[in-house]
Amino acid sequence: MYGWHLKLLRVNLTTHKVTTEDVDPQIARDYLGGRGWAIHYLYKEMNPAVDPLSPENILIFATGPLTATPAPTGNRYMVVTKSPLTGALAHSNSGGEFPTWMKRTGFDLFIFEGKASEPVYVLVNEDQVEVRSAAHVWGKDTHETTDILKAETSAEARVACIGPAGENLALMAAIMNDKHRAAARSGVGAVMGSKNLKAVVAMGNKNPPLHDTEGMRAISVETSKNVGADVKKGSNMRIYGTSYVPQVTNTLGILPTRNFLQGTFEHVHNVDGDALKDQYLIRHTPCYRCPLSCGRLTEVPDGPYKGKGEGPEYETISSLGTGCGVSNLAALVKANYLCNEYGMDTITTGMTIAVAMEMYEKGYISEELIGMPLKFGDHDAMIAMIKKMAYNEGFGKDLAMGSYRLAEKYGHPELAVTTRKQEFPGYDPRGSQGMGLLYATSNKGASHMEGDVAYEEVFGVPVKENPHSTEGKPELVKHFQDSFALIDSSGLCVFVAIRYVFDKNRLIWPQTLATMMNLSTGAGYTPEEVMKAADRVYTLERMFLIKAGSGPEWDVLPYRMLHEPLPDGPAKGMVAELDKMLPEFYEKRGWDEKGYPTKEKLMELGLPIN
Amino acid sequence: MIRIKMIANYRAVLPPEAKHGVIEIDVPDGTTVYEAISRFDIPLNDESVIVLNGLTVDMNTPLKEGDMVTAFSAIAGG
Repeated sequence: MYGWHLKLLRVNLTTHKVTTEDVDPQIARDYLGGRGWAIHYLYKEMNPAVDPLSPENILIFATGPLTATPAPTGNRYMVVTKSPLTGALAHSNSGGEFPTWMKRTGFDLFIFEGKASEPVYVLVNEDQVEVRSAAHVWGKDTHETTDILKAETSAEARVACIGPAGENLALMAAIMNDKHRAAARSGVGAVMGSKNLKAVVAMGNKNPPLHDTEGMRAISVETSKNVGADVKKGSNMRIYGTSYVPQVTNTLGILPTRNFLQGTFEHVHNVDGDALKDQYLIRHTPCYRCPLSCGRLTEVPDGPYKGKGEGPEYETISSLGTGCGVSNLAALVKANYLCNEYGMDTITTGMTIAVAMEMYEKGYISEELIGMPLKFGDHDAMIAMIKKMAYNEGFGKDLAMGSYRLAEKYGHPELAVTTRKQEFPGYDPRGSQGMGLLYATSNKGASHMEGDVAYEEVFGVPVKENPHSTEGKPELVKHFQDSFALIDSSGLCVFVAIRYVFDKNRLIWPQTLATMMNLSTGAGYTPEEVMKAADRVYTLERMFLIKAGSGPEWDVLPYRMLHEPLPDGPAKGMVAELDKMLPEFYEKRGWDEKGYPTKEKLMELGLPIN
Repeated sequence: MIRIKMIANYRAVLPPEAKHGVIEIDVPDGTTVYEAISRFDIPLNDESVIVLNGLTVDMNTPLKEGDMVTAFSAIAGG
């Protein structure tokens, strides 16, 4: 086999024992790679009911068969584990350079088990694997940690690490790589912190051999040309990244504003992509082998929010910005830098602060408890809360548990806008019905990155769907969930895959991706086979959820979405109509009317029945 | 009078008096969404998303006083 190394590295952090194992080629093929391989191992090796912050939880870093190949954006990896935020599955994706360097160690997967007695980091330099003391970097932020570990290993190494938030087990802690890239969601950084694992350092020269190097080169050149043509025409991405999206969602009335009390933000022009471009943009900064280049280096040159870093992206603007009613762009950019340095998911961080702001304004929590006033729009208070969360100080202890637990603790669970206890991203499902179904059924709790039907409902890619309609959405959500499972397993980035690798005709979407995977691996997949494998991955994840206690009873939307109509904008008066979609969705997935995969479906996919 | 709003790189087609990507223009009665947006140099195919008052509508819908037509590039993601 090619493309995959068919090798995994297993590090037991309790004993410091390091082992390597071969991956069964049939498993490799059936589960694609990346996210798919990870759920195979997690389901096989771990009781899904374990405490996510105990040594029994397993933490997996997983690359795909297109990672470290010439395929444009073949630079992704997945972090897969049981989430301490949701109690369900965590699978968080990141790009940059670390994933490619990880694959070049000669291993497709790193599996971390147990818990180190003292802080450690793991160095993987091909077959040289060492568990080293991290005492000297414990307590340091992600940027300092990265610099120190590169200095003491090699300038050629790449680093994935946690910051103070992960060390302090904040449930929104991220794993940062290459300083600015995040496997952000679901508290994966807290799992790393619970294992006393500060960082993973990867280096090596073992590029995976390819089945058809020339073919891969040709298809990569063609894809890059397509991207280049769009860039020439004036693609938004190099200038704006995703920061232009607030204007789009504001126009549609689905921009999370003040904890979803509204769907439009009156000061949106202060925090949109043009404001960012005009005031703070320096240049675009691509991930490895990315022709699209949506990352952007920015700088606030002076003043109280002085700093330099990357972003913010849309999801940060819609959470720490509009979600909190914040219209001070410099403060918002600074908040994003701080989240990256402390190692925090900006969505959960921002939307948790937003819930606290609403609770404060309604008199449910006091200034005395918080330590300061916390009104919507108070950007200095927002920044102060981020620090308190990362360091678990005072009221920060409550915030660090996420908005679901915060709202529940103080008697107002109706204010938390979550599914499976994870905060919503930046598309209000009252005005984008398919997103509501997606959030309710996502294996990782509310997330746009598990089947982002906003591509169609909001952006018209590849087909424009009416966001207010529920018709056809069950099938659309199922198709997107499977497609994202495929992309996450392949090692490509969604941005390029969705736009340039998939055909405009949804029915033959996976064709090019299957071709790329065949050129890499020689597995001879048909498009139907890769989609079936993606269905297998998605369904096995669902089985994990059921055993973890996050089954169909959690396929719900929060109170505000179902009972409080949007008060403004084009979707005024609308609520999320989940009931109209959920039964048909279960049917499309081959699950019974209660939401459990049927025996027939499990057999069809070759999955274990129990 | 109707309003035209352009997002991100589409703002380049607007005259300098546009504010935050929005301009006001007068159009004859019965002007459709398509006719109004055709005055501006943007791709009128699936490379663009065009909405009327934030809603997905038929491009032949006639405009009313105060309507806002918004266009942005379908190069997407959040």
